[in-house]
Amino acid sequence: MIVQGTYTLPLPPARVFAALTDPAVLQQAIPGCEKLEKTADDEYKAHLKIGIAAVKGSYAGRVRLSDKHPPDRFTMHLEGKGAAGFVNGTARIELEEEGRNTQLHYNADVQVGGLIAAVGSRMIEAAAKKLAGDFFQAFSEALPQAE
Amino acid sequence: MSAAKGYFGKPMKRVEDPRLIKGIATYVDDITLPGMLHAAVLRSPYAHARINNIKADAAKASPGVVGVFTGADVNDKCGLVPCASPMPDSKIPKHTVLASDRVYFVGHPVAVVVAVDRYAARDALDFVEVDYDPLPVVSDPEKALEKDSPLTHPEFRTNVAFTWSVANGGLDAAFKRAHRVIKQRMIHQRLTPMAIEPRGCVASWHAGEGTLTLYTSTQIPHLVRTLLPGMISVPENRIRIVAPEVGGAFGSKLNLYAEEALCSHLAQRLGAPVKWIESRRENAAATIHGRDQIGEYEVAVKKDGTLLAIKSKTLADIGAYCQLNTPAIPTLTGLMLTGCYKCKAMRMDVVGVYTHKMATDAYRGAGRPEATYVIERLMDIIADELKLDPVKVRLKNFPKPTEFPFDTLTGLTYDSGNYQGALKKAQQISNWNKLTKQRDAARKSGKLFGIGLSTYVEICALGPSKMMSAGGWEWGCVRIEMSGKVTVITGATPHGQGQETSFAQIAADKLGVPIEDIVVMRGDTAVAHYGRDTYGSRATVIGGAAILMCIDKIIAKARKLAAHLLDTKEKSVEFRDGKFSAKGKPKKALTWKQLAPEAYVAKNIPQNWEPGLEASSFFEPPNCTYPFGTHIVAVEVDRDTGEVKIVKYVTVDDCGHQVNPLLVEGQLQGGIAHSIGQALFERTVYDENGQLLTGEFMDYAMPRAKDIPEYLMDSTVTPSPSNPMGIKGVGEAGTIGATPAIANAVMDALSPLGIRHLDLPLTPEKIWRAIAPVKVK
Repeated sequence: MIVQGTYTLPLPPARVFAALTDPAVLQQAIPGCEKLEKTADDEYKAHLKIGIAAVKGSYAGRVRLSDKHPPDRFTMHLEGKGAAGFVNGTARIELEEEGRNTQLHYNADVQVGGLIAAVGSRMIEAAAKKLAGDFFQAFSEALPQAE
Repeated sequence: MSAAKGYFGKPMKRVEDPRLIKGIATYVDDITLPGMLHAAVLRSPYAHARINNIKADAAKASPGVVGVFTGADVNDKCGLVPCASPMPDSKIPKHTVLASDRVYFVGHPVAVVVAVDRYAARDALDFVEVDYDPLPVVSDPEKALEKDSPLTHPEFRTNVAFTWSVANGGLDAAFKRAHRVIKQRMIHQRLTPMAIEPRGCVASWHAGEGTLTLYTSTQIPHLVRTLLPGMISVPENRIRIVAPEVGGAFGSKLNLYAEEALCSHLAQRLGAPVKWIESRRENAAATIHGRDQIGEYEVAVKKDGTLLAIKSKTLADIGAYCQLNTPAIPTLTGLMLTGCYKCKAMRMDVVGVYTHKMATDAYRGAGRPEATYVIERLMDIIADELKLDPVKVRLKNFPKPTEFPFDTLTGLTYDSGNYQGALKKAQQISNWNKLTKQRDAARKSGKLFGIGLSTYVEICALGPSKMMSAGGWEWGCVRIEMSGKVTVITGATPHGQGQETSFAQIAADKLGVPIEDIVVMRGDTAVAHYGRDTYGSRATVIGGAAILMCIDKIIAKARKLAAHLLDTKEKSVEFRDGKFSAKGKPKKALTWKQLAPEAYVAKNIPQNWEPGLEASSFFEPPNCTYPFGTHIVAVEVDRDTGEVKIVKYVTVDDCGHQVNPLLVEGQLQGGIAHSIGQALFERTVYDENGQLLTGEFMDYAMPRAKDIPEYLMDSTVTPSPSNPMGIKGVGEAGTIGATPAIANAVMDALSPLGIRHLDLPLTPEKIWRAIAPVKVK
């Protein structure tokens, strides 16, 4: 499943890029993120609590960043698994300067499995878009504090 | 047996129903044994993955948990899940009760938690940590045959599970002679049986006796008893299987499943009864699915519509492994491919393909619905191609009633038939001429209105033992108790079909006793010692005949006792209306109530006469039965939304003599409802990663009450020569006959738009996508 969208953030790309790769900001922004620990350069361990449709669950996950070209783009790899199944995703994130703002384009290929797929498949796309929306909302709110 | 007198042929209400309606019936989940533990099964969320490691410590420490077991703990003590019908070239993977180092479908059991209650067991599942390494997945059977496809079972180096062919007649000559050759590809979508009661079992081990009792929601307690020893090393004569009330099966419980063996093993291992009840989601993922064939079909016809030949290449997507009868299902499609038509040549080649999905197996109709759908769709496509009337094309190709028994090209012998008679009667009941005028008028006003029919024949009452891997006979036992009450025991294991009623009708007539004096027992191997159970619409035909055989033996035996008591010769004893009397002395007659105490007290019996009035019998059917009929359906398709509305449903079915017309009607109605689901709503969907997307009722669209039309039902009676009552099976006829009739009606409705064929299910979306681009004329 491909989830894509664009989000406008009120900061220049270099600042957005820095914040997007800052675990403290990410932890505040990622929906349901209870823990985010750095395990290596550009690698994090995460603990998430997310509900999709009727399927609520805890997921232990790993986040890895690659293909980093600050301040233009990077790729985020996400792996989460829990009792309700698993979520794997690769998101390509591109930042485009637009005046004093940044246009953020994301294009994610998401795979879900197990109960989430069997029960939540109707909702996944909408849920993924909502989670992405929640993320960027929280992210833009977290930005000033990150300075 | 004549249908005119007594109970036989009467539309009697089911004696089973009050307990079911009142909620006082006993299903597996109603059974509670002292000290009983509860099992919950952890299932794979991956369609294909390597298991690197399973950590169960946290689950073991969870409150109430007695034990957590993985493949490493149980697979060397539990045998492999059996397949009873491999093809000669079958490649059968080792299907252990729990996954070993690899999972190969979503829902594959990986571990089992046993706890003191069901909630504790379920909760602890979340604490079992499995480290999976995902492996490449194939979920499309056509892609599975491509050269570089991921492999379902890498050790086989191919996804081909088996091949099978049936062919007869000069195919090339027939195709050369043909005026027209018509090709059509058809997809028989995967279906989920969705019995309202999911699977479940309670296993109880008596360590002192060394005996196992397994209560399980199954169609086949006797076959489970035969097969289970191969898995758990308890001999057959120390195993008792009980199938209590079963809340729907439709073929999905015609199996021996991993969980049944697993619970049996755990009960032994833990020294306590173990209960497992499947959840709805587990049921959708890990109880067998049905259908799932893709076929390329080709017919050779003369320009007058005469069918010359049919050939087919079919892929059967059987999923990841073989359950009990998986490979056999497509063979039934092949055997019935020519339907109720004469044909000079036929060929069907089946390739069974492994994919990373749940196994397919018998689901209502089991292979025959596919055959009927193909041939009945083809009849309409032939008519369309040649601009002929679909009714006339069918009539042109039917065998005459005088041609029965009718030998098919596939090696079957249709026992009896009058296909013209059923068609004619269905046309009369449907008010055919008026209906076609209604269609014309609707079309004139721009509506999409269609009429479809299907003239089906099906093979059931399976079957002569030479056809069946574990024998096809049925066992019965009848006992006149000392009180004169009658106990009828059947090995046929009815589970909702109504034989507690119909067998009582059969026995009451034959014995000449009131039906209230009869009780029919079934479903417990300690009571019904032997049997071959219920599948393939066999129970009434074969099980009923076994009951008749028992009663013949008892009457013969009782005649000797009556002669002794009446002080006359055996030859001159007459038996009529439940009474034995000496010829010419009807007043001094003995009833069963008078004879029975004498037979058991045994103080005044003939010399060398064995006490008791009980007999058991095995009935071996000489042939299957071939019920047939005509379904006529009229539909209106909404031009804007693509929604199908069934406006008329007429069915005339012929299952020979009917023991109980109410039961026949009930079976047909239920079967047609299944067909409405298949034709209009249902499809089991896996995505390209092998994820099941239809895991519950919100995503798997079952027909609801509002989707079921009023049926106009009638019958013709062409007795079967294959059994003493002249009856035929009827459990699957509805599903087999109805699907193509509904599809044909919808395609007839869409024909003015130039649409010839759409695959099922004919959902509003699918129809809308087809009709929306077509401009309104």
